[in-house]
Amino acid sequence: MANSTVKPTKAPNDASWLGALCLAPAVIYDTLLFLLPLIFLVWIGFWTVDNYVMVPGFSLANYSDIFQQFFSRSRYGFAMGQSLWVSATTTLLAVVLCYPFAMALAFRVPARWQRLGILLAIAPFWSSYILRLYAWQTLLNQEGLINSLLLQVGLIQAPMEIVFTQTGTRIGLLHYLAPIMILILYLALKNIDTTLLGAAQNLGANRWQVFWRVILPLTRPGVVYSAVFAMIISLGDVLSGIILGGGTGRSVFGSLPLFSTMILNEYAASTNLPRTAALATLLIVIMVLVLLVGNQFSHTES
Amino acid sequence: MATHDLELVNIHKSYGAVTVLQAINLRVQAGEFIAIMGPSGCGKTTLLRVIAGLEGVSGGRVLLQGQDITALPVNRRNTPLVWQSFALFPHLNVRQNIAFGLTLTGFARPEIERRVGEMAVMLNLESLLERRISQLSGGQKQRVAIARSLVTKPNILLLDEPMSALDPHLRVRMQGELKRLQQTLGISFFYVTHNQNEAFSMADRVVVMNQGRIEQIGSPAEIYNAPASHFVAEFVGNNNLFDGEVVANDGQTIQIRCPQGLIRATVRQRSHPVGDRVTVVVPADRLAIAAGGAADNRLQATLRAKEFIGSQVIYFLETPTGHEVKLIQQQSFGDSMQVPVNTELELVWQLENTILLGERSLDP
Repeated sequence: MANSTVKPTKAPNDASWLGALCLAPAVIYDTLLFLLPLIFLVWIGFWTVDNYVMVPGFSLANYSDIFQQFFSRSRYGFAMGQSLWVSATTTLLAVVLCYPFAMALAFRVPARWQRLGILLAIAPFWSSYILRLYAWQTLLNQEGLINSLLLQVGLIQAPMEIVFTQTGTRIGLLHYLAPIMILILYLALKNIDTTLLGAAQNLGANRWQVFWRVILPLTRPGVVYSAVFAMIISLGDVLSGIILGGGTGRSVFGSLPLFSTMILNEYAASTNLPRTAALATLLIVIMVLVLLVGNQFSHTES
Repeated sequence: MATHDLELVNIHKSYGAVTVLQAINLRVQAGEFIAIMGPSGCGKTTLLRVIAGLEGVSGGRVLLQGQDITALPVNRRNTPLVWQSFALFPHLNVRQNIAFGLTLTGFARPEIERRVGEMAVMLNLESLLERRISQLSGGQKQRVAIARSLVTKPNILLLDEPMSALDPHLRVRMQGELKRLQQTLGISFFYVTHNQNEAFSMADRVVVMNQGRIEQIGSPAEIYNAPASHFVAEFVGNNNLFDGEVVANDGQTIQIRCPQGLIRATVRQRSHPVGDRVTVVVPADRLAIAAGGAADNRLQATLRAKEFIGSQVIYFLETPTGHEVKLIQQQSFGDSMQVPVNTELELVWQLENTILLGERSLDP
């Protein structure tokens, strides 16, 4: 080469080693405590059990067993349907309830009160999730505060059944999801250049048109990612389904636990750990699918 | 028939105790290019936002083609604004940005396509219609912003310092294009800027604002040659201001005694009786360094510093009384002179280059 005397040099203040150093703890932590156990879980799913003892190997027996009875005896399919339905409706509710709140906070509340508003919105996160679920149980049960109040006032004639229903499950999940959803949506909304809203009005857009044509499309990544987050958390959660949903919520398919609860029950009751691992792997596959679909819809530009 | 595209009647605007606009009266003729000029914080952008309806008023009325629009909401005014930052929608492409105003009111698709195409041709955007906003240069963004505003066929276009985000060489070219566009369309442009060159090169009339008030309205030549107030004289051009008292007036020539010396001026519209306190304005580019011969006005000063600006050189001089005087020369001429700093010089200028300013009429 004619110009071989010229050696490529890095930028004088290139500090890529510093970036690597900062990333190292997260990478090590995730590898040891998340990725390796996950690989192990998926791997165990291919083992078999012989005389109450796990036998390592590669067999699709667990999966064929699960899919053979998917819609029959153990009704995994129905439980999965139930889980998807509860998670999807909870996610939709969470977006519909949190978006207006985040919007009011970002655009209507004076700037100096916004920090306080966010602080109050995420305050529930400082208390234990289980504790909050029991608190809801106390509030919502047949003799609870809410039912007694409504009975006293005369708005209802008989106590509402909320605890140990899917509605109960959703309430628990919503309370768990709301703080993070509000935070994500608030940040997405704050990111909007407000001159764009003025520009839309200036070009003839009324309030609704400003919302549908400008605000919502610009916060699309925030909406999609908060929804993906809500969906994945809801699919994986067992506590709300057990404590507020009563373990086996009623549904169109009859009395049926959520898929996540079913995995927990299997783990507790059965001696077939490889099959439980295979069930958990199925749930993880569903979650990854949700993430991939979400990713497809997260672009702002059309 | 409304002969005025826009009429501002006694506009007042204040935020609590802070007054940002007061007693703004202005009539924009149909098809007129008006430039609003003033330093930052003078209220020019607020005035623009008042016209667009983005800000309310504390008093006064805004009339568009004779119709009172003071209480009309922003979205029903059709007073499109070209924003300083262009404010293009990043989630839409160029075509969708231009069509935005039309898609809001239920125009038929073929009509929208036709009008967007028309705008694209007019602003030379045909090859960019499918581009994303993030792929555009500053000049292209500006043309999209203008096309987006003109697509609804408004009678008046508001522009808020649209050149400030552009490269200097592009700025000059866009000034010409903008003026041509305005003449082709025959609509009024209401152009806010702090840049004197932009205002003077494009506008039919210039409005100079300061501290929420209009200081002077006039053609660029009027503003330049006959500044109405201290502020205008200082803000526009490179002027030297001398305060003094009229000591003689023979009907043709006035003599004014200033601390710097005796200055002579021609009598124009206003008669100034002896004893009148006046301000004398001498543009820096009409001063010359004495090279012998007769001169109407002479002033002693010492050269303190020189500054080269393109083809011109600015001399900063100091009179024996300690006042600063500026002088501008073409550089080629200045080079041959090669005056060293701290040289004592005699400055001269012709009678007709002395401008008399009536004492600031807007003073409280």
